[in-house]
Amino acid sequence: MKRNLLLALGFVSVVITLYLIFVWVPTITEMGIVERIFYLMVPMGWLALLAFVVTFAGSVLFLVKKQDRWDFLARSSAEIGIVFTTVTLFIGAIWAKPIWGVWWTWEARLTATMILWFIYLSYFVVRSFATDEHRGAVFAAVVAIVGLVDVPIIALSTTLWRGMHPPALVFKGDIAPEMLLVMLTSVGTFTILYVFLLMLRVSVRRDEAEVQRLKELDR
Amino acid sequence: MTFWNKVIAITWKDWLSEMRTREVVSSVLVFTLLVILIFTLAFGADRELMTTVAPGILWATFAFAGVLSFSRSFVPEKEHGCLEGLMAAPISREVIYAGKGLSSLLFMLIVEAIALPAFAFFSNVPVLSPQIILVTFVTTVGFVAVGTLFSALSANTRAREMVLPVLFLPIVIPILISAIKVSELALTGEPWSNLFTWFQIIGAFDLVFLAVSYLVFDFVIVE
Amino acid sequence: MENGGYLFAAFAVVWAGVFAYALFLSNKQGKLRQEISLLKAKLEEKGTE
Repeated sequence: MKRNLLLALGFVSVVITLYLIFVWVPTITEMGIVERIFYLMVPMGWLALLAFVVTFAGSVLFLVKKQDRWDFLARSSAEIGIVFTTVTLFIGAIWAKPIWGVWWTWEARLTATMILWFIYLSYFVVRSFATDEHRGAVFAAVVAIVGLVDVPIIALSTTLWRGMHPPALVFKGDIAPEMLLVMLTSVGTFTILYVFLLMLRVSVRRDEAEVQRLKELDR
Repeated sequence: MTFWNKVIAITWKDWLSEMRTREVVSSVLVFTLLVILIFTLAFGADRELMTTVAPGILWATFAFAGVLSFSRSFVPEKEHGCLEGLMAAPISREVIYAGKGLSSLLFMLIVEAIALPAFAFFSNVPVLSPQIILVTFVTTVGFVAVGTLFSALSANTRAREMVLPVLFLPIVIPILISAIKVSELALTGEPWSNLFTWFQIIGAFDLVFLAVSYLVFDFVIVE
Repeated sequence: MENGGYLFAAFAVVWAGVFAYALFLSNKQGKLRQEISLLKAKLEEKGTE
């Protein structure tokens, strides 16, 4: 029930966000119409991180409390996280082409997102190559913890690495208030979507466990 | 026995078995020298180009050498059933981490102590500067901190040879970037003060990952 | 409207990604629910025997 309510709320806010992005907000910078991609990129990057933080929290709780539901949470969030990180990389390429003229560039945030994607990947690799499911869950939790601790160091090193040549389009000085408003609305909308997907994923995982349990009873 | 006495005992055990089998150092060293040979052969004709690409080559080589050497850190223990013995011994898991880490560090440093002059020799790039030697040391500590943890973890999975690099390489990218940057700056003759930020990043990474691995090691070493 | 294609592509990628994933999940859930009721029915039969 709660989930349907959330879906309705999400739908309304998606409509509002799209209206704000395409009708209400004027084109502000010299980038032209592509600047509107920005209203997608920021929330996507935010979700890639948020999903990883949730995975981290779930993993710590799982290791400490040893209850499977924390692993469900961590794993579900990681799965949504890798979907959003993949999408972010695609948008990054689509953004880079008109602005820099190439599909891929080692811009600091793109590089950091790429590394994050590989850490997410290793989270699932460990799980699928573990000798049994519980052990895989423990190992994946360790990977999530080590990975999250690495994120600030990755951010720092990639920023400094590329920092000598600031990309021409970063907003100089402060951001226009209209842009900020649209950006925040978009972040809010996508966060609602994330929570919805997370609830859906966790309940799918619960059903999977239920099937497993019933099968064992059947035997 | 105190904590460090037990740690030294494990490292000493690894050292003795290494002296007898020469499994890790010799194989990793041969691999490293071959990679250096191939890279310097590929780019070496052009001296200016060589100076530009040398930091990248050096660190790509050391990263792969690290993967190879960490893949030999826990697997033999596991294969010969020694891990059970280690775990049954009256020592905490953290001692095992520190002991295995210390021996890995020792082996890596031996390989690098030979590979670095060899690289300087074949590439004609002066990589034997104090800056590069120091950055090699601190970066290797970071490699070992992460590598020992993931070595123990991947020893308990199927397809270990595949799992270890997939885990290890993304995590160490920040210190890899920093080490390449320090080497680049050192080769262009920048003073120590300009390298300081990068050393700070590597140092922070080392401390953070020694601490984190120490805390979570208990979960990856299972029987 | 130069570069409008890129803008369109970016929005298409995001929405296609999110919808495909949501669809995949609800499909999976539908199948799992079916399996659960099937298994429950089977178990009940066993119980009454």
